[in-house]
Amino acid sequence: MTTLLQQIANGLVQGATIGLIALGYTMVYGIIQLINFAHGEVFMVGTFGALAVYRWVLPESVQDQWYVALPLMLLGGIVVAVVVAVLMERFAYRPLRNAPRLAPLITALGVSVALQEVVRLWFPDAEAAQSFPRVFVDAQVDLGPVQISATGLLLIVVSVVLSVLLQTYVNRSRMGRAMRATSQDRDTARLMGVNPDRVIVLTFVLGAALAGVAGVLYGAHLNSVDTNDGFQTGIFAFTAAVLGGIGSLRGAVIGAFIIGLIKTLGGQYLPGGTQYDYVWIFVVLILVLVFRPQGLFGEAERVRA
Amino acid sequence: MNAARHSAETVLEASGVTMVFGGLTALNDVSLSLPEGRIVGLIGPNGAGKTTFFNCLTGLYTPTRGAVRLRGKELPHDPAKVTTAGIARTFQNIRLFPNMSVLENVLVGRHIRMRQGPLASLFHGPGFRRDERRAREKSLELLEFVGLRGVEDEVARNLPYGDQRRLEIARALATEPDVLLLDEPTAGMNPQETEDARQLIFRIRETGISVVVIEHDTKFIFSLCDTVSVLVQGEVLVEGSPDVVREDPRVIEAYLGKPREEVEAEVAEAAAHHGADHQGPAAGRRDDA
Amino acid sequence: MTRLTGFLPPALARPFNAVGAALLVIAALLPWATFLLNDGAFPDKATLQFFDAPLAVTGFRWQLLLIGVAALVLAFVRIPGQGRVLRALGWGGLAIGVVGAIFIASEGGGLGAITAADGTTAFGSIVAVLGGVALVLGSTALGIPDIPDWPTRFFGLSGWPLRLAAWVVLVVAFGGVLYLVSLTLTAGGIGGAADPYAGPIFLAFLGFAGALLGALHGAGVTRWVSRLSEEHRGFSILVLVACAFALPFTEAGSQYWMQVAATIGVYAATAIGLNIVVGLAGLLDLGYVAFLGIGAFVAANLSGAGASALGWDLPFPVAALIAAAVAGVFGAIVGSPTLRVRGDYLAIVTLAFGEIFYRSAQNDIGELTGGASAIPGIPPISMFGTAFNEPLELFGAELPSGVLYYFLIVLVVAAIMAVFANLKNSRMGRAWIAIREDEDAARAMGIRTGKAKILAFLVGATLAGLAGAIFVHKLGTASYESFQFLESVTLLAAVILGGMGTIPGAVLGASLLFVLPEKLREFDEYRLLVFGLALILIMRFRPQGLVPDRVRRAELAGETAMGKSIEEAEEQAVLEHEEALSAQKEDRR
Ligand SMILES: Nc1ncnc2c1ncn2[C@@H]1O[C@H](COP(=O)(O)OP(=O)(O)OP(=O)(O)O)[C@@H](O)[C@H]1O
Ligand SMILES: [Mg+2]
Repeated sequence: MTTLLQQIANGLVQGATIGLIALGYTMVYGIIQLINFAHGEVFMVGTFGALAVYRWVLPESVQDQWYVALPLMLLGGIVVAVVVAVLMERFAYRPLRNAPRLAPLITALGVSVALQEVVRLWFPDAEAAQSFPRVFVDAQVDLGPVQISATGLLLIVVSVVLSVLLQTYVNRSRMGRAMRATSQDRDTARLMGVNPDRVIVLTFVLGAALAGVAGVLYGAHLNSVDTNDGFQTGIFAFTAAVLGGIGSLRGAVIGAFIIGLIKTLGGQYLPGGTQYDYVWIFVVLILVLVFRPQGLFGEAERVRA
Repeated sequence: MNAARHSAETVLEASGVTMVFGGLTALNDVSLSLPEGRIVGLIGPNGAGKTTFFNCLTGLYTPTRGAVRLRGKELPHDPAKVTTAGIARTFQNIRLFPNMSVLENVLVGRHIRMRQGPLASLFHGPGFRRDERRAREKSLELLEFVGLRGVEDEVARNLPYGDQRRLEIARALATEPDVLLLDEPTAGMNPQETEDARQLIFRIRETGISVVVIEHDTKFIFSLCDTVSVLVQGEVLVEGSPDVVREDPRVIEAYLGKPREEVEAEVAEAAAHHGADHQGPAAGRRDDA
Repeated sequence: MTRLTGFLPPALARPFNAVGAALLVIAALLPWATFLLNDGAFPDKATLQFFDAPLAVTGFRWQLLLIGVAALVLAFVRIPGQGRVLRALGWGGLAIGVVGAIFIASEGGGLGAITAADGTTAFGSIVAVLGGVALVLGSTALGIPDIPDWPTRFFGLSGWPLRLAAWVVLVVAFGGVLYLVSLTLTAGGIGGAADPYAGPIFLAFLGFAGALLGALHGAGVTRWVSRLSEEHRGFSILVLVACAFALPFTEAGSQYWMQVAATIGVYAATAIGLNIVVGLAGLLDLGYVAFLGIGAFVAANLSGAGASALGWDLPFPVAALIAAAVAGVFGAIVGSPTLRVRGDYLAIVTLAFGEIFYRSAQNDIGELTGGASAIPGIPPISMFGTAFNEPLELFGAELPSGVLYYFLIVLVVAAIMAVFANLKNSRMGRAWIAIREDEDAARAMGIRTGKAKILAFLVGATLAGLAGAIFVHKLGTASYESFQFLESVTLLAAVILGGMGTIPGAVLGASLLFVLPEKLREFDEYRLLVFGLALILIMRFRPQGLVPDRVRRAELAGETAMGKSIEEAEEQAVLEHEEALSAQKEDRR
């Protein structure tokens, strides 16, 4: 029983990370119908951005004061992630706006490979996994029978709060309305005075910021980062977005928690152990796509933003 | 396969077709019967549900209620099977295979009439070659028929607009249909092309194919069709011979929405027009139900 | 490149061309490096110390000289397609110059090497760059004409003399291709300590080969040859296969290159299979390498390898057929969601399948894959009493070991090409292309799209499975590591780089993507980076690939075909219709 609860807790922490990334996937897909394979890399770049801040910006005296270090690292991670995302939108995807359907998808794969390599080659010592500082309170929180690290708890809270904020922003604000309009019909939105380019950039920025936050907290939680974490986590995140119903913000987050749970519970209880957690996730994905192609929340709540 | 215009046996019969999209009833209890060898017109304002009706007939949409029968046999809701059963269509917005050649487009239309299986496709034996040659000949004949001979190696998307419409008709005819559904075949055409299209449709009927035409151009419809149905907001408002329909005050009000004199002038012009160059369709025998 | 047109006034075209060409010739005769580089003298006597014989040019300087002389002649002699030819030569010279400059500078430590040191100058590469730029500018100012069309009936010949003449042309052309392939494979050597400059020399050679092919293309020669070969299809195939069989007798006939060529063949065969799925049917498959893997593991288990749990020992043809069939079945299974899932979602299903396969193989599922320890010790194919890894004596020539695999894979690639061509020009192939172009319209033509798509997956997977069976015997080991996601992406890139839906495209793309890393091993570090950047650039500047289908960009199906829903399309039609109506009203007045 304790194991089960503990694994559920672990699953929720994983789901929180995946959820923050999945939001970016689902927003970008909702707006320009592109599976942005490079979004996982944006997350990874965010982690390394924060690591850079820790190593080369923070004076040693504040490195262990989390209330100074963490916000600054978050800032660094977000800035790096956003800059990378904006550049890639501007130089890789925008020129292909009217290109054949396959072109941006292949480009996204190319961007993903290139970003991974750039970090691996030129971030000092990034050839192998790097240790990431435990910037947040380094303690385990006792929640009845289960223990969860403080960073993990923070990750869950941040993930839920940010996704609610994002949801509100998209539903209520002027820019959010523009986003929804653009995702419905770009040309009509243009006629109504919405500048689709700006909306698309904003979408990338929002997605990247969330991925950046995820990257920093993920690093702090796992205590290590690697250049190829991004792609894998990114694929999980996309799976979550599809599972939840692409275009649906709430769906993406719920899908992510489901993925996180399948990963930990499947690793614990299904034959094959953790080596097959990957497999179970994809089996679930395929089943969902075949029996409910629009995803779990695809129709009920079609925010499409 | 000769046109038996006198024996008006029904080929295609749609009864009580209803199509609901979410809250919108696009079609409400629409019935239509197409007698063998006739041309039936379908007119109605934008958004009346004409295209939706075609989509229901061809199995692209599954109607909420109602059934479609071809020669008494109920049709399945699968476009491929409907085509195999003998209904071919064109699309309101042209849906050619843009990067295939003109000839290849028509050859795709021959798909269900060709005999080669996957293995023959692999090995290209003598049977295969015979089959290909026949399909090619047939397709070229059809291109000749619609007036596209000589451009068969052009890429479809490079054809001028009017030729694309004609190619779409040739492609539909290649399936050897009993019934041809044309969705606004003259949209965007100039008067000369429109007239050519009218003659083409008459010639198609001559080969024994029954035709349903959607068109906004009333002059065109009245001079072409044996019967005309008027669809307004998903319901059949009037059905009957062109004479009956064009006189009907409800039609003039609901659909044409123009002062009566203008309509009458137009009607007179149309009558003169088709009297001059064609015997004219067998008009006025059916009244509205 | 049209952006360059009009950069110079046409009056300056000839002077620029002449000067550019002259500079290229001069560059070929100048020294390129002033001192010994870290790994020894720069090859082809281009290092100043060894520069005792400026006129005895070899290697890349010889190639540059050829380009320069040709350009010099063509700057004054009018030929059809002149602007294109000169432009291709210019880009080639520029490429050779840039490659030389970058390598000498970086290897030699700074620009000192290519400019001046100890008062001596060695600016061959800079002169080549300048010459190339001048030639490109001059040729574009000259105007870029349409590619000239040459008649396939020439010299007023007809009947058998014409046929004979055409055959001669084809033999010469394919012989030239064979020679070029052999040169390309061997250019710069095999790298490593023996040939420290293999990378730059190979890249410079690619510049030369590109210039040569570009010039021939610009003059209309390649198009003419390809039309001739279409008209004499049977003969062309014969010559092509003969040329492929002749490769081991050329300079490239060493054990090493035969092995590389056979590996390329395996990937080319797989890429052609993928081309059916992606290029013809328009279905994006991101997990395709799994089928190669399934074929490989099935064949490994049927080969009598000691490490295989199953331990069956079947003759190779039987094992290969079973491998292909099993892969095909999996293809159909993976393809079956196409009945319900469209477009990008299908891509994700295939990706997921590829990952499931990879993970399962990694963890030794059913003890059939060997897991992390792989299945080693797979015996070589043995038929007619000959093991395929042995050397061979043929027509008095000693052929290296591995050449039999090369012959086998040539046959298989030829067969798969034939399968692809036959399918493409059949009822089934047209149905696939129709689905790619417009699925709804295809259904309206009576095509059972679901069946057709599953069949595409099945055929593609079968071919990959067959390739996998050969792959695993050639390699001797079946390891999950050969079947990663990145391999799927590389195969896809090969198909797209070459030109989707075309046969030469898939082969060319696979050759480039699998030869380049072999050749550029000293830059192995940057391999993936370059790969990623290349994907981005290709999609940006040449999405139709190097050998586009007759219909340009056809296979990257455009907006109208796939991107539009019925509603959207109809909306547009309404607009069009209104326009038409108002036009009609205008007419009436
Ligand atoms: N797939 C669909 N989903 C939702 N609504 C639809 C769908 N197809 C059609 N409709 C709606 O049904 C109504 C009828 O549309 P339809 O295209 O059949 O009209 P139409 O008579 O062909 O008009 P037009 O003359 O402009 O071509 C419209 O309000 C349209 O928006
Ligand atoms: Mg319509």
